[in-house]
Amino acid sequence: MKTILQKPETFKSSRIKPVWCPGCGDYGVLNALDKTFKTLEFKPENIAVVSGIGCSGRFSHYFNSYSLHGTHGRALPTATGLKTVRPDLHVVTVGGDGDGLSIGGGHIAHAARKNVDLTYIIMDNNIYGLTKGQSSPTTPLGYTTKTAPYGVYEESLNPIAMFLSYDISFIARTTSADMKIMQKILTEAIEHKGFSLVYVMSPCVTYKALPYSKLKEITSPLPEDHDISDKMAAFKYAYSEETMYTGIFYRKEKSCLNERLQEVFQMAETSKTTSEIMAEFK
Amino acid sequence: MGKQILMKGNEALGEAAIIAGCRFYFGYPITPQNEIPAYMSRRLPEVGGTFLQAESEIAAVNMVFGASAAGARVMTSTSSPGMSLKQEGLSYLAGAKLPCVVVNIMRGGPGLGNIAGAQGDYFQATRGGGNGDYRHIVLTPASVQEMAELTVLAFDLADEYRITVLILGDGYLGQISEALTLPEPTGKVFEKPWALTGAKGREPNKIASLKLVPDHVLEEMNLSLERTYNEISSRECRSESYLTEDAEYLLVAYGTSSRICRAAVNELREEGVKAGLFRLITAWPFPAAALKRASLKAKKILTVEMSLGQMIEDVRLSVDNPERVDFYGRSGGMLPETEEIKRRIKAYGN
Ligand SMILES: Cc1ncc(C[n+]2csc(CCOP(=O)(O)OP(=O)(O)O)c2C)c(N)n1
Ligand code: SF4
Repeated sequence: MKTILQKPETFKSSRIKPVWCPGCGDYGVLNALDKTFKTLEFKPENIAVVSGIGCSGRFSHYFNSYSLHGTHGRALPTATGLKTVRPDLHVVTVGGDGDGLSIGGGHIAHAARKNVDLTYIIMDNNIYGLTKGQSSPTTPLGYTTKTAPYGVYEESLNPIAMFLSYDISFIARTTSADMKIMQKILTEAIEHKGFSLVYVMSPCVTYKALPYSKLKEITSPLPEDHDISDKMAAFKYAYSEETMYTGIFYRKEKSCLNERLQEVFQMAETSKTTSEIMAEFK
Repeated sequence: MGKQILMKGNEALGEAAIIAGCRFYFGYPITPQNEIPAYMSRRLPEVGGTFLQAESEIAAVNMVFGASAAGARVMTSTSSPGMSLKQEGLSYLAGAKLPCVVVNIMRGGPGLGNIAGAQGDYFQATRGGGNGDYRHIVLTPASVQEMAELTVLAFDLADEYRITVLILGDGYLGQISEALTLPEPTGKVFEKPWALTGAKGREPNKIASLKLVPDHVLEEMNLSLERTYNEISSRECRSESYLTEDAEYLLVAYGTSSRICRAAVNELREEGVKAGLFRLITAWPFPAAALKRASLKAKKILTVEMSLGQMIEDVRLSVDNPERVDFYGRSGGMLPETEEIKRRIKAYGN
């Protein structure tokens, strides 16, 4: 009998329907990731989604794969722990700008240093959605929020420049407004060996710190001749004040955490000093 | 049985974790437990295990969350200030019913305090330092031998009940070197059908402590956790009663302070004073019934702690006539003194 490889119709959970507001940018990410994994012919048991907390953090409940929903801001360490035990799984970590850049901001540098082989999708809506409209680290200066009635008086972060300085091995920015491009970038990110960061501008239609209209106005694809191995050029585009560039900023091949751990195993295998001592006492 | 080996408490604990099948360790340096991550970083790769130095205790406990969800035997260790940082993660582990072993080698507090051994985290350990209705098992070793034995037990208990097991030691126990016989692996195997593994042909598991369902479901989950906690309370209380049968003066202690008490009991007995020691091996579940039994003949019960009085609350709740319960403690990394214990016991007789 011929075995027919059954591809799942969809990676969108049939049991739990998203409670996101109609028009929320996060639907775009869910659809794009679903399409990407279908095109790449993955199976649910090959994927784990680890999410932070926020509207975006609900993602893991809506995706038909293994999933892990932990604490606020700690999706990256959680995913790191999972990946060390199950290096065979494709781990996708998802969360918002508050989860990833405020409470959990300290973890990105360290996932980058380890070059954990996973894809981290940050959905930036310039606001805290789940808790109903407080300022986030990317809310524009002067914008009024629930916790900034006189306007935000902190400057917003430049996440892409931050990621470049951490030497993350794959850095891209895209938007929920263009599914095709997001899918293309997600495909490259998932196929990339090492830590890939896909930064999605994903508007919140309820708290509107980043409306679709503004996104259309300020974004523009990176010039076609941008060399993605050129970090200084990437910095230049990241710092551009007039234009928010989208596309792949930077990519670098380097060994990932699991490869480095394999090397450590080999070194320990040849020395085995403690094992020998302990064997004497067993 | 193997030959005896001389090891530091922290290193014996590390080796015992390896014996128990722990193959993943995540931690952040803090004195006086630094020998644990140092030992694990060298030793784990020899047995194909993974050591990662996390960027913080918060990162470490969340790495534990991820590794435990994947079905691994996993451990993290820290000392008091780091334990405070782990509390949110421990609450989420409890909510997601994930097993793990956590070690707190206590030091003087509050705040940064000092690096000497102390027992100021008893409330945090037994009352739950994180949010919500949850418990974890708390084991309290008193020797290097027990640091090792209780570590092996901790991994089995964690898997059996899908719970965090906390090994509550102190800086003195971590640093002391003593001869021990390495424990044997128990060989118990625990199936983990809930883990993020083996989903071929079925829907992949999801693990979360958030319940996206009607409110009463959370209460039902908490009630089911409570049933587990009740089962643990009835089956897993552990303690040691030393010369308690005829004891007119009962000392109650755990960990390092129990060693000082044992010396005092021995000396008092030599002088003809009927003193005994009740020592906790589990702080949660608290061995209340055994303590009640051990205290039946006691005129006075002296609780001795390296704190200003935390375990004493459980002692008072466990015994009849709690007005018999008295307290002697030293805080901030100071040790109770044998002479002072003897002086107090003798004073009761006058
Ligand atoms: C420790 C902790 N602090 C605060 C919260 C409350 N909280 C939940 S989500 C969130 C911020 C969400 O913002 P973001 O990460 O941008 O996600 P979004 O909802 O916009 O997708 C906060 C503050 C929490 N769950 N845990
Ligand atoms: S509040 Fe904003 S971010 Fe949250 S679901 Fe609604 S639109 Fe999306």
